[in-house]
Amino acid sequence: MLRRACDAIDRLNNVVGRCAAWLTAFMVLGYCVVVLLRYGFGIGLIGLQEAVTYMHAAVFMLAAAYTLNQDGHVRVDIFYRSWPARRQAWVNLLGSLCLLLPVAVFIFVASWSYVADAWARGEVSSEAGGLPFVYLLKTLILVMAVQLVLAALARAGDAALQLAESRT
Amino acid sequence: MSWMAGLMFVVVCLTLLAGYPVAFTLGGVALLFGLLGNLLGVFGFSELLAMPSRLYGVMTNETLIAVPLFVFMGVMLERSRVAEELLNAVAVLFGRVRGGLGITVVLVGALLAASTGIVGATVVTMGLLSLPTMLQRGYDPAVATGTICASGTLGQVIPPSIILVLLGDVLSSAYQQAQNSMGIFAAETVSVGDLFVGALLPGLCLVALYIAYLLWLAWRRPQAVPALPAQTRAELGRDGLARLLLAGLMPPLLLIVAVLGSIMAGVATPTEAAAVGAFGAALLAALRRQLSLQALREVVENTTRITAMVFLILIGASIFSLVFSAYGGDIAVHRLLESLPGGVFGAMVVVMLVMFLLGFILDFIEITFVVVPIVGPVLLTMGLDPVWLGVMMAINLQTSFLTPPFGFALFYLRGVAPPEVETRAIYRGAIPFIGIQVAMLCVLAVWPGLATWLPEQIYGG
Repeated sequence: MLRRACDAIDRLNNVVGRCAAWLTAFMVLGYCVVVLLRYGFGIGLIGLQEAVTYMHAAVFMLAAAYTLNQDGHVRVDIFYRSWPARRQAWVNLLGSLCLLLPVAVFIFVASWSYVADAWARGEVSSEAGGLPFVYLLKTLILVMAVQLVLAALARAGDAALQLAESRT
Repeated sequence: MSWMAGLMFVVVCLTLLAGYPVAFTLGGVALLFGLLGNLLGVFGFSELLAMPSRLYGVMTNETLIAVPLFVFMGVMLERSRVAEELLNAVAVLFGRVRGGLGITVVLVGALLAASTGIVGATVVTMGLLSLPTMLQRGYDPAVATGTICASGTLGQVIPPSIILVLLGDVLSSAYQQAQNSMGIFAAETVSVGDLFVGALLPGLCLVALYIAYLLWLAWRRPQAVPALPAQTRAELGRDGLARLLLAGLMPPLLLIVAVLGSIMAGVATPTEAAAVGAFGAALLAALRRQLSLQALREVVENTTRITAMVFLILIGASIFSLVFSAYGGDIAVHRLLESLPGGVFGAMVVVMLVMFLLGFILDFIEITFVVVPIVGPVLLTMGLDPVWLGVMMAINLQTSFLTPPFGFALFYLRGVAPPEVETRAIYRGAIPFIGIQVAMLCVLAVWPGLATWLPEQIYGG
């Protein structure tokens, strides 16, 4: 039951992260077009430039949980590396519940009214020719927080299962 | 309550050693301290209300867009085996000279290590690529490992490195803060481009000193750095040699020169150059017929993991610094640094020492986001030049990563070195390079112009 819940969360976060990853390729293309137009033709495309910024934000915010699943967040592993699997599982169990979970919940709670305010105003870019979707961009903060809360629970569940299995 | 800030710093460092991801350890410990302070009635959560707008600031920071773009370029170059061919080509070029293989490693490290930005990754790549060959050719293991560690970390200092992008961004806001506090509102700015240009001459000096050291070895202890046997070059023949150089050396060299050149000429911003460089790297891979859909997928996913890692540390560090300054930590550090004997010089020495020691447990990125925002404004208020400060910090941390027994680079190389290479040999090999680093720091301290002259020429001070 717990196993299946953890796997379902992991699958969701991984799919979202892998899709967001493709945005990096579009960032490269988009910014090259911006550069080409600016230096080749003297045209400034604020809209496209802001689109690249949106993609950039989306990449690291939507892929934060995926990166956690892939163990891509850097650790100080001077000791961790040489510890037995059980102790590593304890680190991940306690870390997920006492460090990651509070951070994710805090980001969600602290940002709620900030994002709600942007929605209420239908906030748009302050630049002329900019994109009218600032409220959507800000919503990414909440999406990331939710993904991280789920990922914290899944990682904790995973570590707990690992501990329970290695006991017998 | 500034002792709470100090306690928090110590607890964070200790908690980090448990090995949970750095980004969440920084944020998590800070929040727990906030909660504790709230229970004790010395901390109000209103201090943390700035969090969402800080997050939004990170999301829309134009300068930092250069990070995923440079990472994309680096990952793409690595994936399409450009590094390997570059190493081969340069080795053929210099191999016949005694010490030539070592020189090759230094040059390739300087050219390519720049773009991945994580100490571990570059040292591991260089170690896997060149250590077996060097040992097989009869290099002294200490010399071989020392050269690899030093050149693998050299990429941090030489533009275009991601570290310099991050450091430039943090220093630019620290500089603004420093000038505001002095009442200068028509503030001068410092940009990532300034730091790139400023780091170039000191970086090249380090390359030259490494090579000089290897040449000295070739003269004094020729058996430590033997030449390649002549036949590998003869086998190739003249045409083969030309083809190898053309295919292996020219493309990546052109790419790096184009990226750096457009920044140096003041034409492009680092972000623009990064985008074009990333596209160029993809084009290069396509020309080598190594850009399948599967390969592209690996590149984008790898890029994304590194990018998310960097930016989540930035987010964790910003929670940390909000709580730290709410406890008065900033002011305490400020007072402490100002009360040191020796004025600016004393403060600078202490900051460099602390960063050096922190380099034993923290990677460059964490130190840039956690320590520099705290000490940067103080040092800059005392009148130091931001470009010079950035270059000093970069070289200092690079030295820290090389220093036994805790240096990061040595750990990572130990991980990929064959067991017959003694750990003591790795430590011994690093020592001459540490000497070079320290000498470079002293030279920079005496002649700050080495870092500040070129930016002034290009951007007109």
